[in-house]
Amino acid sequence: MRARELLNSPIGSIAITLVVVVIIGLAAVGGTFFTGSNLTIISTNIAVPLLLATCSAFALLAGVVDLSIGSNAGLTASIFADLVLHHWNPWSAALIVLAIGIAIGVINAAVIVGLGAPPIAATLGTLSALAGLQYVFNGTNGSLTVLVTGLYKFANTTVGPIPLVVLLLIALVIVAVYVVTSTRLGRHIRAAGGDERAANRAGISVRGIRIGCLILSGIGGALAGILYIGQLGGATNTLGSDVVFLVYAGVMIGGYSIIRGGVGNPAGGAMGLLVIAGVTDIIAVKSINTYYTDVIVGALLLLAVFFDRIRGGDAYE
Amino acid sequence: MTQPSQFARDRQATAPAGAGADPTESPTGQAAPAGEVRILPEGVATAIALLVVWLLLIAVSAIDKSSFLSRQTVLSVTFTMAVLGVLTVGQSLVTISGGVLDLSVPTALILPAWVIASLLTRGISGWLSVVLGLLIGTAWGAFNAAIIVFGKLNPIIVTLGTNFAGAAILGIYVQNAVVPNHAGLSTWGKQYWWGLPNVFWVMLIIVAVVGYLLPRTRIGRRAIAVGGNPQAAKMRGISLRKTRFGIFTAAGFLAGLAAVLFTASQSSFVSADGTNYLFLTIAATLVAGIGLSGGYGNLWVTFLSVGLLSTIPTTLAFFGVPALWQNVPAGVILVIAVAIDGFRRMRTAR
Repeated sequence: MRARELLNSPIGSIAITLVVVVIIGLAAVGGTFFTGSNLTIISTNIAVPLLLATCSAFALLAGVVDLSIGSNAGLTASIFADLVLHHWNPWSAALIVLAIGIAIGVINAAVIVGLGAPPIAATLGTLSALAGLQYVFNGTNGSLTVLVTGLYKFANTTVGPIPLVVLLLIALVIVAVYVVTSTRLGRHIRAAGGDERAANRAGISVRGIRIGCLILSGIGGALAGILYIGQLGGATNTLGSDVVFLVYAGVMIGGYSIIRGGVGNPAGGAMGLLVIAGVTDIIAVKSINTYYTDVIVGALLLLAVFFDRIRGGDAYE
Repeated sequence: MTQPSQFARDRQATAPAGAGADPTESPTGQAAPAGEVRILPEGVATAIALLVVWLLLIAVSAIDKSSFLSRQTVLSVTFTMAVLGVLTVGQSLVTISGGVLDLSVPTALILPAWVIASLLTRGISGWLSVVLGLLIGTAWGAFNAAIIVFGKLNPIIVTLGTNFAGAAILGIYVQNAVVPNHAGLSTWGKQYWWGLPNVFWVMLIIVAVVGYLLPRTRIGRRAIAVGGNPQAAKMRGISLRKTRFGIFTAAGFLAGLAAVLFTASQSSFVSADGTNYLFLTIAATLVAGIGLSGGYGNLWVTFLSVGLLSTIPTTLAFFGVPALWQNVPAGVILVIAVAIDGFRRMRTAR
């Protein structure tokens, strides 16, 4: 009985989707799908989206969507690179960048929680402003190249075929799952996103929770910015502009909703991103035009929300 | 139209009694009763604020650099306004009718534009190309509408998904679309009437006519009612499905029209050219005081928000600031606008 419930839950369907993707991968690519080098490629590509998704999904759960995470990562990557190029100690540069991430979260929280602006509209505004500032820090070349030796080594250390960063992120996802499902804080976050009034009546500080979640989202953006520099050794003008769509498509495929809070599980979100990473990899290995990844992601997203609706999610009428 | 609709203007301030024949015409026709009375003053306040900011921007630029007030500036701004304005009318219709946002604007613009450019290149007549372009735009809108209405899915997620797919397919097929110079459409698009570009006048007519009809026709009021409170609208016999289908199809048609203006005024374009319009249409809609919750808003005000947002890049270019900066002020303006709007609403709710 419980197994059946699990199969019918969002986690169940995303797990099945993931298995299907792996089977298609094995069928299309063959045994090389699971070779070490291919696993390294998949998991390296998933690191930044997974970091962003895990941090910002708390805000989703609390009923506030943060669309500014991608340009937050892009901007903080540029600032970090700029500071290091100006001979700052990488550690102090990282601290500055983290403070900027927190500041972005505070600005979002002030406008959304403090002044009552709709989260989608407000964070779309900060998205645009941050993306514009990104150009400023990248200067006339439109890109910055910087090698932070320690960070580069850290980002490229692998344990077996899997990068150390990704293993740490998996640990982070596990912690997030634990917090969301088994702690008081997690219950409060879900309550705040599920039914704001009921949560308030139950004595939960919905405002406090949302402020905290938006700040966490901002920190996630800054950490992703630093990770970008470690992985890529530089920043560009368009860095981070596409990742926000990818992250939200992934977590929505994994059972979250950007429309209503209170639903979703970090494990589902991670699996949603894995599905996209798997599809991306199959298409890359088969040398199909990479644009087709987006076609499949778009279709998967629609199917996922459709099945969620059939299962009893909110119908839009 | 029937008699009650002639009193529509008055109705916004004071709902007249005895307009009862059609369910949408009843005094409670506006679904958000608390917001209804305020529609007019609020729209006017937003309009005045926008006009002041816009004029200030122009005045400050002109005082600092007197050559700013040139024909060149006017043309640059009005050309930018044309495409953005028509797209914003579509986006605003979606938002007012409770469809939240149409995220497929980039595909909805570039798909018809690409079709028109390809047809013109093959020597197909301008009129036929334009009609086919409008049809393609409408078909794209209907495609979104069908998924939203029959799948009962939230428009913002549906259009995110369709744009993912649509933009990718355009990325594959549209490398660099060239609009033939000798085509009648291109000639028309670069001509002027009363000193302003032809394409600008088309936009002005669309904003004026749709803005006039929306609160004054039965179909328009139904759209507003559906946006304000879908359950109440449904109980009064308004078909949510038909209204939603109509609105998203209309938004597609308007995107097709924007694509006609876009093709007429560009000599070539790439598929990524549509991306920035998504943010700008959303910003223009929200800055004009049209709330994401739906059910209220004045389309005429979008003329001012479109004007303001279109002036910023020209101003920046004039002061030697790279055009890449243009999204910073637009983003800040958007944040300030929604913050003011949210704050006002929060205070009235208390």
